[in-house]
Amino acid sequence: MEQRLANSLIMTVNEKKFIENALLSDIRVDGRRPFDYRNLTISEDGSSEVQLGQTQVIGFVTGQLTQPYRDRPNEGSFAIYIEFSPMADPSFEPGRPGETAIELGRIVDRGLRESRAVDTESLCVIAGKLVWSIRIDLHIIDNGGNLVDAANVAALAALSTFRRPECTLGGEDGQELIIHPPDVREPLPLILHHFPIAVTFGFIGKENTAVIDPTHYEENVMGGSMTATLNTNGDVCAIQKAGGDGVLQSVIMQCLRIASVKAGDITSKIKNAVESYNTQRSLRKIKRHNPDQQASSDVAKHYMERLTVGSDQAGTDSQFSEHDKPNKKRSTLKNFIGGAASWDPYSKGVDGDELRATLASRVTHTDNHIEESSEVNPETKSIPKSSETTSAHKVESETNQSKTLKDAVKPKHKRKNKSNAN
Amino acid sequence: MEASPVKFVDQLVVIILSPENLLFFMRICILFSLFFAIQVPGDVILDLSNMANQTLKLGGGLRQDGDSICVMKAGKLRFMKPNKYWVESSQKRYVPSAGDNVLGVVVDTKPENFLVDIKGPALAFLPVLSFEGGTRRNIPKFEVGTLLYVRVVNANTGMNPELTCMDANGKAAEYGVLKDGYMFESSTGLSRMLLSSPPHPVLEGLGKKLSFEIAVGINGRFWVNASQSSTVILVGNAIQKSESLSLVQQKIYLEKLLKSIQ
Repeated sequence: MEQRLANSLIMTVNEKKFIENALLSDIRVDGRRPFDYRNLTISEDGSSEVQLGQTQVIGFVTGQLTQPYRDRPNEGSFAIYIEFSPMADPSFEPGRPGETAIELGRIVDRGLRESRAVDTESLCVIAGKLVWSIRIDLHIIDNGGNLVDAANVAALAALSTFRRPECTLGGEDGQELIIHPPDVREPLPLILHHFPIAVTFGFIGKENTAVIDPTHYEENVMGGSMTATLNTNGDVCAIQKAGGDGVLQSVIMQCLRIASVKAGDITSKIKNAVESYNTQRSLRKIKRHNPDQQASSDVAKHYMERLTVGSDQAGTDSQFSEHDKPNKKRSTLKNFIGGAASWDPYSKGVDGDELRATLASRVTHTDNHIEESSEVNPETKSIPKSSETTSAHKVESETNQSKTLKDAVKPKHKRKNKSNAN
Repeated sequence: MEASPVKFVDQLVVIILSPENLLFFMRICILFSLFFAIQVPGDVILDLSNMANQTLKLGGGLRQDGDSICVMKAGKLRFMKPNKYWVESSQKRYVPSAGDNVLGVVVDTKPENFLVDIKGPALAFLPVLSFEGGTRRNIPKFEVGTLLYVRVVNANTGMNPELTCMDANGKAAEYGVLKDGYMFESSTGLSRMLLSSPPHPVLEGLGKKLSFEIAVGINGRFWVNASQSSTVILVGNAIQKSESLSLVQQKIYLEKLLKSIQ
């Protein structure tokens, strides 16, 4: 029994010929002119969902505290992972990424990385020890052609709504890491210097007619394609020319001019979507704090307790590693990271009522724990104190911590100098 | 309660409920829910225990489960006199059944058969001799990607469906290669709507203003050809868009479209 071949799109001779012929009279199969972009819709909900005609991509960004690379001790990192589901297109094989999958990942990655759109230095927490590593997950939901542009927009939109919890160094010696929960301190957005927008052109037929934003069918017919990544300032961040057909220099210049106009349109669309999401988010936050003062302070208390437990571990770990073998440092660091990453930076699932209910059973237990740990590690004493006083003097404890942050700046410099001297 | 008039949905049917037409009313209600509402898998549509000595013919999407007939896929239940029942739904995947007229794309050529993709789970066989006056001497040559209008002759589970390019009398009829034009994808539901009578309002409206050729395959494909490529694109897109519109919306859309042409 002959199975239907799934690994390639079956195009009829009629379709191929028709696409080429129709282009001669400046019209495309979906009714567009050669330089019309398809309808682009972006919706934001912490993650981003981008629809470009039939194409659909979902982007999601997560952050994790990790050790930085040796050669860049004070820079955070980011990586892009693209998921090609066979549901989106039968030609995507599960498991192994295909040629197009790798190319797509590279183009999006290069557009963001080479143009330094994301400020990686602001992701540094402790130079040489802890930085934020940002992971961008892109899921292709439906392939209707021009995945590059859709994936790029999804990545940008997801990056611009991502918020990481604020981290400061505190404690008496200014060496302890404090991760502030979203209720205590507003999570920080990433710093995006500009939006590099990818615009793809296809070259179809004997005369290499350029079309913007090719569909799935046009991608099967075209002899070559070119992806230009530009920002609103008109800077060309990257160009990728795929396929065998050669393209004239004048055509490339014309494409770039059109692309820069489109980049402006798309940037404003992303910004609008992000803005509406941000206003929605701040409205939601007002609601959360309003109804019951007690509830919010309970939440804060709970977070502070968790926080102190976490920072205890960090404190003891760092002590341990400083005295002991350096090999162990990594594993302890990882343990700690697990704690931080499992904690939801968006505080989506936090239900005030549920927390209040569970708190009653937890409070005694956690208090004991705090006491125990404070015996072991006298440096952390300041933090349990603050947690005890949270409900009444929440603001005060906050200011205390921010003071310790200022103190923390110095030792960091000292350490740097030391390492330089060595 | 007995004397209260009942409005029957938006049709102005008023029934005074008396004991004898209460039964009648209930039957109508059951029939209404059976044939107009969308059935989902697991729904029981017929109870065989009180239908002795009747023969039923079950089509796609139905299954006998003991004394009851169950629905196996989501869709509308259809009935044809005297005893045929089946479930109709709109989907992207086509399940071949004998007698369907479909659009196929030649994928490969074998000595005995052409392998044709008809959007089904398996490729279909088109025997090289199943053309009008087909002999070993004049086997047609189809390159890969040729578009054909064909009929399904055989469709059994576990076997590749068999196609033919002849009608029952051995004549070519309208079957064969479709040249030029463009093949659009649709759902099986849209294809059925295009083939239904009275004709699809958008198709009919466009046909009054423009001249074009169309071939609809029940497998969710339709081919449009015209002298101008802009006409092909206009017709194809109008039909594709009309699927999600209601009858009134279709009329408004059609009026707008026809105005824009002039």
